[in-house]
Amino acid sequence: MKFRTLLTTTAAVAAMSAAGAVSAEAMKIGITQNNVGVDSYQTTYEKAFIAAAEANADIDAIVLDAGGDVARQIAQVEDLIQQEVDAIIIWPTNGEAVIPAVRKAHSAGIPVIVTNSNIAEAGFDFVRSFSGPDNITQGARSAEIMCEKFTQMGIADTAQVVQISGQPGYTTAIERQKGFDDRLPEVCPNVTVVETQPGDWNREKSQKVMEAFLVKYDKIDGVYSGDDNMGVGALNAAKAAGRDGIIFVGATNFAVGYEAMAAGDYWGSIYQSPVDDAEAALKTAIDVLNGVDVPFLNYFDTPKITQDNMGDYTKPVF
Amino acid sequence: MTALTRQDIGRLLARQGILFAFVAFMVAFTLANGRFLAPDNVMGVIRSSAILGVMALGVTFVVISGNLDLSVGSMMSFSTIVVLDLHDKIGPALAIPAMFALTMCLGALIGFLVGYLRLNSLIVTLGMLSAIYGLTLTWSGGKNMDIADKAGTWFGVFGQSSVLGVPVPILMFGGLAVVLAFMLAKTPFGRKVYAVGGNGVAATFSGIPRARIVFLCYVLSSFCVATAGLMQASRSMGSQNTVGQGLELSVLAAVILGGASLMGGSGTIFKTVIGVLILGFIQNGLLLVGLQFYVQYVVTWVIIILAVWLDIAVKRGRLWSPIA
Repeated sequence: MKFRTLLTTTAAVAAMSAAGAVSAEAMKIGITQNNVGVDSYQTTYEKAFIAAAEANADIDAIVLDAGGDVARQIAQVEDLIQQEVDAIIIWPTNGEAVIPAVRKAHSAGIPVIVTNSNIAEAGFDFVRSFSGPDNITQGARSAEIMCEKFTQMGIADTAQVVQISGQPGYTTAIERQKGFDDRLPEVCPNVTVVETQPGDWNREKSQKVMEAFLVKYDKIDGVYSGDDNMGVGALNAAKAAGRDGIIFVGATNFAVGYEAMAAGDYWGSIYQSPVDDAEAALKTAIDVLNGVDVPFLNYFDTPKITQDNMGDYTKPVF
Repeated sequence: MTALTRQDIGRLLARQGILFAFVAFMVAFTLANGRFLAPDNVMGVIRSSAILGVMALGVTFVVISGNLDLSVGSMMSFSTIVVLDLHDKIGPALAIPAMFALTMCLGALIGFLVGYLRLNSLIVTLGMLSAIYGLTLTWSGGKNMDIADKAGTWFGVFGQSSVLGVPVPILMFGGLAVVLAFMLAKTPFGRKVYAVGGNGVAATFSGIPRARIVFLCYVLSSFCVATAGLMQASRSMGSQNTVGQGLELSVLAAVILGGASLMGGSGTIFKTVIGVLILGFIQNGLLLVGLQFYVQYVVTWVIIILAVWLDIAVKRGRLWSPIA
């Protein structure tokens, strides 16, 4: 049940003002986002995208938001085709359902760039490039962070880990889990993942899941969460139960995760900036239009961040 | 001289069928995992059910009065975000009453629309579900809301501290349940709520101001939602905008599971509390059993249907009862 019409309207108004003066040779790039306002990442992404587009005089951007609604996103893609934009950037609301719309844009000769979360493979033929984070690598890096810490603590042979994954069925959740599950036995073959349960990207849900884990398992040395928001929920549960010494590793470093790292409660995460994400998407579109050779999977780097190197990174804004 | 005759037992079962269903599930889960009834687990489950529970207490009044409230999840997100935001701006002592006032304004608005303009409560609250979500996002600008100085505030007491070993959320849930149970069962207001939901026409002829009773039920419900929002905010000291999303259905499930009729006129606070606990213990029990996640949705549904069936079957005195 999603009634988020309001968002689209506001986003569309913002788009009009963002478009500004149109020069004759300006590249007209349309973007339809997933659901601005639902979380800080998407909100920051939109602001960064508009800022980057405004800073570039050659760009005439049309910024739309689907409000999480597949039907609205499909209509928006059709609108953008009607407006004869030069390129379309899409943050899919649903990896399967948007394929027909993407194909339509492709047939109209408009290159489509997918941002943040990729569409399903069946639609790859109609997409010029995917710009976003490599979630499998993120999961693998989280495994490495955890393993390095265990090795340093001398418990790499005995440690037991629980995993709190993202929303079931969501590509990002599946890929991060896969990256983590595949990489951990390679770097730390004796560490066992005793159980994985989803926290649905939700801090409260994750806290409940962790409470159950704490009751069920006397020995938990590490917790891997699909993002820091859930990681902090798990941390709260451990704190409330008085279980110290657990190594928490997340992904998508949130401000709360950064603060928990600064406080020494949370070990590490993956630094993924919505600003980088937005700028990478715009740059990919510009490169495609300029005829630059762009790889199909055009990942932007998402480095490891731990208590040791967090000084190199500014606190996330979300 | 036996204290209980067969009929007595039958009558007891019929009145408290859901309680027996609850006990049956508790036994089943305990057999599956011995730690299920460990004191810290039980305490943990009740504590995390408390937020849902407090909301269900208010919705019980609304449902008994013959209406629905689908906006409570969205309203809980609103109160959580508002109190967290105001906490850093005007301090907790002012933020809490301000949040209660704002949330209860929303409840009053719904109560006005349903009670005085006699609009369908399903449509009003379904609309409010999205409208309040929009309001929340407008307030926060879509950003997660976090208390900046988590260590330097007493705001955490409602969600995190304990009194004599009992977590405060449980005390708040229990306290509110006792007060509202008394209000519903023993005061003129409570009896009017039953009357309005049971037979509105008769209530009117008895001189009961139906509009005002419905209005007050929604205000009471929003007070409970504000309390839940306070507990939620205090517990995690930060929140997403979607924190309460989907809770309206869990709340309704708990109230109905407790045996309140969707048609109005029946239900009790005690049974709603049992409904809340059943939902909470199912969720926790399935986690402890370690069932694969995708199966959990299905199993949860099966258990709820079983509970409702047990409740009804015991009331009717037979398991098989086709529509005649």
